[in-house]
Amino acid sequence: MLMQVSALPLTPFRRGKVRDVYEVDADRLLIVATDRVSAFDVVMGETIPNKGAVLTQITAWWLRRLEGKVDHHMLSANTSEIIREVPRLRDHEQELQGRAMLSRRTTVFPIECVVRGYLSGSAWKEYRERGTLAGEALPKGLRESDRLAPPIFSPATKADEGHDENITIDRMRSLIGEPATTELQKLSRDVYEAGRAIAATRGIIIADTKFEFGRARSTGGEGVEKVILVDEVLTPDSSRFWPADSYEPGHGQPSFDKQPLRDYLEAEKRAGRWDGNYPPPRLPKEVIDATSERYLDIYRRLTGHSLDPNGSH
Amino acid sequence: MTTNIYSSPLAERYASRAMLELWSPVTRHGLWRRLWLALAEGERELGVAIPDEAVRQMRANLDKIDFDAAAAYEKRFRHDVMAHVHAFGDVAPAAKPFIHLGATSAYVTDNADLILMRRGLDLLRSRVLDVLRSLTTFAEKWRDQPTLGYTHLQPAQLTTVGKRATLWMQDLVLDIEDIDYRRRTLPFRGVKGTTGTQASFLELFQGDHEKVRRLDQLVTEKMSFPAPLPVTGQTYTRKLDAFVLSVVAGIAASAAKFSGDIRMLQSFGEMEEPFEDEQVGSSAMAYKRNPMRAERIASLARFVNSLEPNANQTHAAQYFERTLDDSANRRLVIPEMFLATDAILVLMANITSGLEVHPAVIERRVAAELPFMATEQLIVRAVRAGGDRQVAHETIRKHSLAAARALKDGADSNDLLERLSKDRSFGVKLKDLEGTIDPKRFVGRAPEQVDDFLRDVITPLFAGESARSERAEELRV
Repeated sequence: MLMQVSALPLTPFRRGKVRDVYEVDADRLLIVATDRVSAFDVVMGETIPNKGAVLTQITAWWLRRLEGKVDHHMLSANTSEIIREVPRLRDHEQELQGRAMLSRRTTVFPIECVVRGYLSGSAWKEYRERGTLAGEALPKGLRESDRLAPPIFSPATKADEGHDENITIDRMRSLIGEPATTELQKLSRDVYEAGRAIAATRGIIIADTKFEFGRARSTGGEGVEKVILVDEVLTPDSSRFWPADSYEPGHGQPSFDKQPLRDYLEAEKRAGRWDGNYPPPRLPKEVIDATSERYLDIYRRLTGHSLDPNGSH
Repeated sequence: MTTNIYSSPLAERYASRAMLELWSPVTRHGLWRRLWLALAEGERELGVAIPDEAVRQMRANLDKIDFDAAAAYEKRFRHDVMAHVHAFGDVAPAAKPFIHLGATSAYVTDNADLILMRRGLDLLRSRVLDVLRSLTTFAEKWRDQPTLGYTHLQPAQLTTVGKRATLWMQDLVLDIEDIDYRRRTLPFRGVKGTTGTQASFLELFQGDHEKVRRLDQLVTEKMSFPAPLPVTGQTYTRKLDAFVLSVVAGIAASAAKFSGDIRMLQSFGEMEEPFEDEQVGSSAMAYKRNPMRAERIASLARFVNSLEPNANQTHAAQYFERTLDDSANRRLVIPEMFLATDAILVLMANITSGLEVHPAVIERRVAAELPFMATEQLIVRAVRAGGDRQVAHETIRKHSLAAARALKDGADSNDLLERLSKDRSFGVKLKDLEGTIDPKRFVGRAPEQVDDFLRDVITPLFAGESARSERAEELRV
């Protein structure tokens, strides 16, 4: 079942371009990834089959792998289990299949924790023109898409509107304090490094990624607040995924997930059939299928399984 | 050109093609149709039974607007929005029953105005960047050319030609920051219905509040706005117009300040705006080169700045959920402020890319004033030669007044140094005095300030610029 927008009998907490968050109760949230897709800042009219489920199940897979390394927000990504926990959702089992995650509620830090392992995108532009990244000098002579060792932590503020704004680590300290800054930076690097190493053995380069963290009251009962990883984790929407077999520094790399979509839209623009504004062109079935297949392929490569929409393994 | 009735000089003479197209009926009514399409698509996604064919026909006819048909409808209905609903329905018959469903006129008129203003800001921004590019080259080239700096419009100390350009540039950088903030945060009027209560949409969705909220959100996202205004009357608060137009007026003010400097520099003969081979300066005085482009900037900027308060007055005059006394006024003020500021920036780009500098004149004018400005250095020189500081000061004062008097009485040049060198009580040779007043020693950190400014402000700005288009393609990272 495709999903453009979700409509559940729960109190909406936040609506995003791709994900909708609902309040379950005082301690829990339900995060639902829809099949919507955007490119060049425009939301497409069509949905991409399986995209929502892939994003949710990739996050779930990573969080299980990272168990012990980092505390996280996931309570369950298994739809049947979620419905047992939240019986009000039983009429929505089919539309939620695979795409829903029951999560602990936290107070989210207002910081996007970006880790860059490769020189790409806006980071490459900054380096090319100023020799810096996040304001810090980098070695001379790096090429586009070169690996950065060690990876670079470049935080950003979470802007409700428009694009996030890159900030310095000093600025981050002044926003959330020194201890949290140190901890978020360390956790971000650790999780990225672990993820990068695992993905590398599956033919996927995770060029860069973005994490979010929150504080939750420890269930230990002491009232100790601990930092936990929230939101989506190392998915193609929160990260830049490149196919390792075609990796070649010196130029931009194709995107593992959205390349067919971007190629199509670029061609429409070049042909003068699209001006980059609403409405985006209708996506042909081949483009939708190819994009959907990319998402499924990423899931297969990473986990070694085909997507089980129940999210049960 | 229309010659038998009045037509706007902004359209006929001053504004660029791109800005004129932005405010054209084709663009505006094309946006109305896109907004109707987004509304229908959003309603459909939320379960309203709008057939595929209706949406297909709307999409196929977004820009095929029969303005004659719309005019005929408007004559009948005395209502421009309903006229365009019908004109759209004629070419998309399957959609006719659904176009504008639940909406009030402000849905298309207000949302389109916000889109137009946002695009207008984008266009102005790109023009400001063009000017900054020219001025960057200019500031680099003239970074250490000493020139008279003025306070009270009187020669004060030396600065450099390039340093003065950074003052103009910094104003424009501040304008860009203002544009960026306003551009990024400008909200959408969204889907709010008559008086802004969304009652018609609540009816449409049979009491489902969440679907009404979502429709507002969905349409806002489709039009690539960050968020809808949380609440509105029937129209969006006219405060938004005042905010945007204040940014526009700020650009005009920066340009006007620049134009004033250029006009004076041209009067001094130090600098001139570009002059075409066949350009005529004066119908009578054939030798004249007038700074007519800078004067036109001043002229248009005064027009723009006189309109700025109008926007706040319109906001202040609104009663309750809406009044119509904003309408005719906004129809003039908003496009004209954008068109005039666009014209100003086109002129400014032209001037800054072709500014002629005359170093010989600048140096002559510096030479005429510099000896007076060098009092401190001359005193130090005299003391180093064994003199007494108080005596040297008195000697300089006496000869300065005499040299200034001589200049006013027609002397060719400032002979203060010669007078001092001949005065035994001062005791320094002419050659040594001349060495003391090398103009480059009087510009302070001006050349380095130019370097710092270009490195710390302008280079990052342009680096951010190329990253901007890239960022638009990036999802989260």
